Amino acid sequence: MTISSARRITLTWLLLVVLTLFGLGAGHLGMDGLAVNGLVLAAAFAKGRWMLLDFLKLRGVPTGWRTLFLSWLAFVTIAPWLAAAISLLRG
Amino acid sequence: MIAEHEDRPWGELSDLPGHPMMWVLILTEVVTFGLFLLTFAVARAVQPSLFAAGQTQLDPLLGGMNTIVLITSGWLAALAVDASMKSRRIRARALLAGAMALGFVFVAVKIAEYVEKARVGIGLETDTFFTLYFLLTGFHLLHVLLGIVILALVAMHDSLDNLKTGTAFWHVVDLVWVVMYPLIYLIG
Repeated sequence: MTISSARRITLTWLLLVVLTLFGLGAGHLGMDGLAVNGLVLAAAFAKGRWMLLDFLKLRGVPTGWRTLFLSWLAFVTIAPWLAAAISLLRG
Repeated sequence: MIAEHEDRPWGELSDLPGHPMMWVLILTEVVTFGLFLLTFAVARAVQPSLFAAGQTQLDPLLGGMNTIVLITSGWLAALAVDASMKSRRIRARALLAGAMALGFVFVAVKIAEYVEKARVGIGLETDTFFTLYFLLTGFHLLHVLLGIVILALVAMHDSLDNLKTGTAFWHVVDLVWVVMYPLIYLIG
């Protein structure tokens, strides 16, 4: 069964809202620590990935472009986690 | 070889949706914002207690609300391209108008945040956290305003290619905020 383009876009939007509420909930409850930071940033990566593929329509472009943008996204979500980890390890 | 060049004057950029020149701008923007975000992360690692204290002065609910506002705006913009592909011009324009309206909501919430900070005496020179906070979010806010202008232009000149071009910029502005929000407001 194929999913229509508009339905896929709407499904993506719903996922993005749910993941945003997850991050917001974690922040609102005062949850912190490397594990929670990792989950929040992983949610940001997942949101960005869906935006790139379904909103920006990179799903159908050559792999090299997808790899480039997803690598950028991975960099800007992993670097803050690593920086926080280094900071904690330094005490 | 010559025929291939004539078919694809922008080379690999021709594979991306919308005008390749927009993607040159987008590539420049992602590099710039990437460096900004990295700077923020490194500065936090160097001054963790200062950044933790600064973060308590921010309202994650407002930031989260603005994230949902931009995500929803991006959703409407993506649906506008879909409507245009089905030759539903009026629907596409209405969806773009909705996307722009939500862009203005984002701007209003952000300005309200800035005003609140100014009211309690927090400014660009308060400390490193707030210098970076105002630089990052302010630079992003300028892009939101530029994005609204671009969406208005493509709504007026609403060929499918123009819509793809304008909404590509808008989605990248959304994408940057989606990464910026947890970095500044949530993770500690």
